[in-house]
Amino acid sequence: MAYSELIKNFSKIRDYMREFYLYGFKRRREYTQKSSRSYDNERRRMESILDGYMHFRTTQEGRSVFLSIDSRKVPHNPLYKAWKAKSFTDGDITLHFLLFDILHAPDIAMTIQEITEAVDGKLSEYEDVRCYDESTVRKKLKEYVAEGILTTEKQGKTVLYRRSADAQLPGRDTLDFFSETAPCGVIGSFLLDKEEERDSHFAFKHHYITSAMDSEILCSLFLAMREKREVTIETMRRREESVHALKVVPLQIMISVQSGRQYLMAAGLYHEKIRSFRLDNILSVTPGDVCQEFDSLRLTLDRMREHIWGVSTHSFSGEHMEHVEFTVRFGPTEKYILQRLEREKRCGKVEPLGEDMARFSADVYDASEMIPWIRTFICRITELHISNAQLEENFLRDIRAMQAMYGVEGGENA
Amino acid sequence: MMIFSELYSAYYNAVADLLKKASVHPVSQQDIEQAVKKAAFSESYANILPAFRNGRWRVLRQDGTTLLDHTPTMPLTLLQKRWLKAISLDMRIRLFEDRMPEFPDVEPLFTPEDVAVFDRYADGDPYADVQYRKHFRLILNALDMKYPLEIEYTSGRGRYAHTVIMPQRLEYSEKDDKFRLIGREARRIGIINVGRILSMRPYAGRMKRKAAAKEPDRSDVVIEVHDERNALERVLMHFAHFEKEAEKIDEQHYRVRIRYDREDETEMVIRVLSFGPLVRVTEPEHFVDLIRDRLVRQKNCALT
Repeated sequence: MAYSELIKNFSKIRDYMREFYLYGFKRRREYTQKSSRSYDNERRRMESILDGYMHFRTTQEGRSVFLSIDSRKVPHNPLYKAWKAKSFTDGDITLHFLLFDILHAPDIAMTIQEITEAVDGKLSEYEDVRCYDESTVRKKLKEYVAEGILTTEKQGKTVLYRRSADAQLPGRDTLDFFSETAPCGVIGSFLLDKEEERDSHFAFKHHYITSAMDSEILCSLFLAMREKREVTIETMRRREESVHALKVVPLQIMISVQSGRQYLMAAGLYHEKIRSFRLDNILSVTPGDVCQEFDSLRLTLDRMREHIWGVSTHSFSGEHMEHVEFTVRFGPTEKYILQRLEREKRCGKVEPLGEDMARFSADVYDASEMIPWIRTFICRITELHISNAQLEENFLRDIRAMQAMYGVEGGENA
Repeated sequence: MMIFSELYSAYYNAVADLLKKASVHPVSQQDIEQAVKKAAFSESYANILPAFRNGRWRVLRQDGTTLLDHTPTMPLTLLQKRWLKAISLDMRIRLFEDRMPEFPDVEPLFTPEDVAVFDRYADGDPYADVQYRKHFRLILNALDMKYPLEIEYTSGRGRYAHTVIMPQRLEYSEKDDKFRLIGREARRIGIINVGRILSMRPYAGRMKRKAAAKEPDRSDVVIEVHDERNALERVLMHFAHFEKEAEKIDEQHYRVRIRYDREDETEMVIRVLSFGPLVRVTEPEHFVDLIRDRLVRQKNCALT
């Protein structure tokens, strides 16, 4: 098939965007799963869509392509552009503009026959007139009714179509801000496309833009949650490179603003536990039946969250709950450490111990999720107790390994 | 109701823009080029121009006039309305709007209960505070109208401070959940936490001198990642928001160069530490020393 910069199926470009943006060191021959033509086409598409953000590196081993974006410097997520590259037919685009020209005001209501005739009339100046038959027009009208841009009403047995009422958009600042910070922000970006161009007043720090690639999955999950529906999700196990389908009840989306990851918290059907699924590993979402237990399952999750540090709902140690406790010390000019503990404690407790010490404690399902955070206090940890003894030993061993790595006397190689 | 739909496509936007122009005067090849450049992608012109020329898209005639009788517009889709309704439930909306457009028959796409951010710092800005909102709106107005502000605030060290600043932008951190005003003071680029502003007003005088706008000082740190326990993916995800470059050293080791703002160096140090022995800083030397210093101090804590 001839190359086109437009995309029919987003999942393909989703994979490549992820590879180029996150990794970017792979060479052409390493994209083994896909054909080289497919790779060349996707790379060319990305170069066209993300013009200015694609970079190349040539080494002895070959050439690699990567996406490098400092999200603090860009007021609008460049990855949203890929969502604006959906392919369409010549008929689609022509009919789209003709329909809204015919139904140009909300007070115009027409039957399908009248609309089809009006379309023919508009195109009559072409010698090789392409008439849209009634069924094509009907299909498009039905599609637009589902999208909410047209409405229908019955007059006796006749169905009349009219355009939906126009609505005022919120201010430009509102759209600039929420299109970057709200879930499914790409929809805000679609709204911004309706506005005149203007420099945004906002910049974003610690801003992860990768979630843009999962917008459709997220949107489908929201739609299911609003209707309290079960869904079938297809998930990718990247290491095994296998795909699994399972039925779950989607309960909540959990977002990490410190890693950019988004997770679905969902209950397995048939009395399985509530667990998390990374959104970037979900390939598809198919809505199912309404789940009568949705409210009670969500209540269960709410209660569980008092003991979830990140998203994990079970430990590898087999303990139901793991206890973590550590003490830090700080100098007279380092009171901010206490503030740090307070603002970062999540479900834990902070207890000042005199003027220069503080103790943090928490009971969580999975203490291993806390380890990276505890490491950020390296240089001031005076005590550490984890009920999962193996985890505690690993933590201490890792510190010794780090000390060895940086030539600190007394360190041990891992 | 799909996000990936031609209704939101850059091509439809470019064509709509072009047809608007064509409703006023016949469009030229240059008009087409401009509309495509503004709304679409770098290779789009090569597709859109022939589509009109060959009469495949029958909304624009060969002579640049349009067969449409009205300026093309499209109402909001249900998805757009549902998203707007969802953001109207966000507590930060009141920083921007007193009243959002109402869509009485529309369900929000999501509600605050559907989403939980689990690692945001707990001492975010007070969005419900009336004074805070007043300050926020005044800053937005000053950014719009480009006038300087006179501000009294509490500095990071807890001291009273006063400044006159020409606002350049508002920076929001999702992790800190705070806004910072960045602008040009007389002698330097000023950064003021909006939550620390005590009072502010439009500056009545004329700023005689403004510091030159400049990019923040940036530095590179180079780390080696030992790809065990999925470390490579975790590292690359974690540092994804920076400008970065990764290369493979061997099957288990990767080198990643990350460009960061010098003002955030301490934060970078602890972020690197959080990966434990799977990440080793190789350059610059002063960054290596910062890590080493923390490990030496940790050794002195006698944790066993």
